[in-house]
Amino acid sequence: MTAPHPAAPAGPVPHRASSVLLCGVVPLVVVAAAAGVALSWAPDLPDPVAIHWGPSGVDGFDTLPRLLLGTGAVALVLAAGALVLAVVAGRQASVRRLCAGMATGLSVGLSALVLGVLHAQRGLTDARDVGDVGAAVTAMLVGGLVAGALAAWATPGDRALPADRPVDPDAPRVPLAEHERAAWTRTASGSTVLVAGGAAVLLVAGLAVTMPMPALWLLVVVLAALLGAMSVFRVRVDAAGLTARSALGWPTLRVPLDEVEEARTVTVDPFADFGGWGYRVGAQGRVGVVLRRGEGLEVRRTGGRAMVVTVDDAATAAALLNTLADRSRGATRG
Amino acid sequence: MLFRIDTASGEPLYAQLAAQVRSGVARGELRAGERLPSARELAGALDVNLHTVLHAYQDLRDEGVIELHRGRGAVVAARAGADLTELHDAVARLAQVARRLAVAPETVTTLVKEALR
Repeated sequence: MTAPHPAAPAGPVPHRASSVLLCGVVPLVVVAAAAGVALSWAPDLPDPVAIHWGPSGVDGFDTLPRLLLGTGAVALVLAAGALVLAVVAGRQASVRRLCAGMATGLSVGLSALVLGVLHAQRGLTDARDVGDVGAAVTAMLVGGLVAGALAAWATPGDRALPADRPVDPDAPRVPLAEHERAAWTRTASGSTVLVAGGAAVLLVAGLAVTMPMPALWLLVVVLAALLGAMSVFRVRVDAAGLTARSALGWPTLRVPLDEVEEARTVTVDPFADFGGWGYRVGAQGRVGVVLRRGEGLEVRRTGGRAMVVTVDDAATAAALLNTLADRSRGATRG
Repeated sequence: MLFRIDTASGEPLYAQLAAQVRSGVARGELRAGERLPSARELAGALDVNLHTVLHAYQDLRDEGVIELHRGRGAVVAARAGADLTELHDAVARLAQVARRLAVAPETVTTLVKEALR
């Protein structure tokens, strides 16, 4: 092993205030406001209230305060986890967006579900008489998705952070003459994602056919879109740097040449390194397009960031990315 | 797959691109059914005219190396990846001999091109 090239100092994690706002303050305010509304309905509500539905209707009851405390705690514990991740490891915008979307989306979705379920019980004296709560499930899905997307959108992006030092001299290179241009492209995919994702879509579609709950069709659409967005990526190395673009066009991940510190091949274990497959966040805020186990391209990027794509022939991609990054440094200096 | 073009070379750019796909298939680096980048993507990546890439792809299609599908782009043809082990061995021997006799690479390729005419 050669001694590692000293990494540029990364500095503090950026945009911590916005992370605190979107992962902490917003979920807290949403959960508190929902609880306030629910408590203001208390005189109209049966005691206990219905909180769980089985195949044959209502099968679970609890008191209003316990329902509010339980769901509020779930939402806030998850939000706190997202907040810690964003503040400690949120060096890249995608990590901060994911955290903000999760925290805000979950708290809004759960609050919408609780308020929807309680709204259906207003004016009842016996919670067993409650009717259909499909609208509450729809409210949860739509509210959660819209709020999550808004929070992700409101998250500040990464500012341009050009490297101030050359690419690691020990990293692999492609011999390239001055008048040569080169590009590398490859399709990255994986059978695990396609099989597991396809099975999930079919399972929910099967449920949607058998159960009279229109919200399930919405879930089918969301899952299918997620599968389409996460299962096949076109990976490209060229004068624009590294681009990994989903077959749907979104998400697209980019690392410009002037932010490349070093590219190399790595061996990826999806579960151990990223906790699963797809567009993921791993240890130390490393962002990954993880579609299968095995060979992958890892790019160390300025600001203490790193990105991984599982793709065949990653050695060529890494060598070309280092070479083109050298070239772009030379161009800006000369 | 790595594509490279030499703007200082006398060989036209489309011919350089086509030659790389051919040798990629011959080396087994491009397998049958593998998708090549779309002409638009490759033209953008190499900063060349779209028609240069289309010209290369059309030549490769005429030779039976790739298939062009509307919508799906260029795919390496099933019969493109024939067993070329014997040819690889011969090329390796040729390179060995040329090196031993200190013949310039340009001279060797010219001789090969003439022999194939």
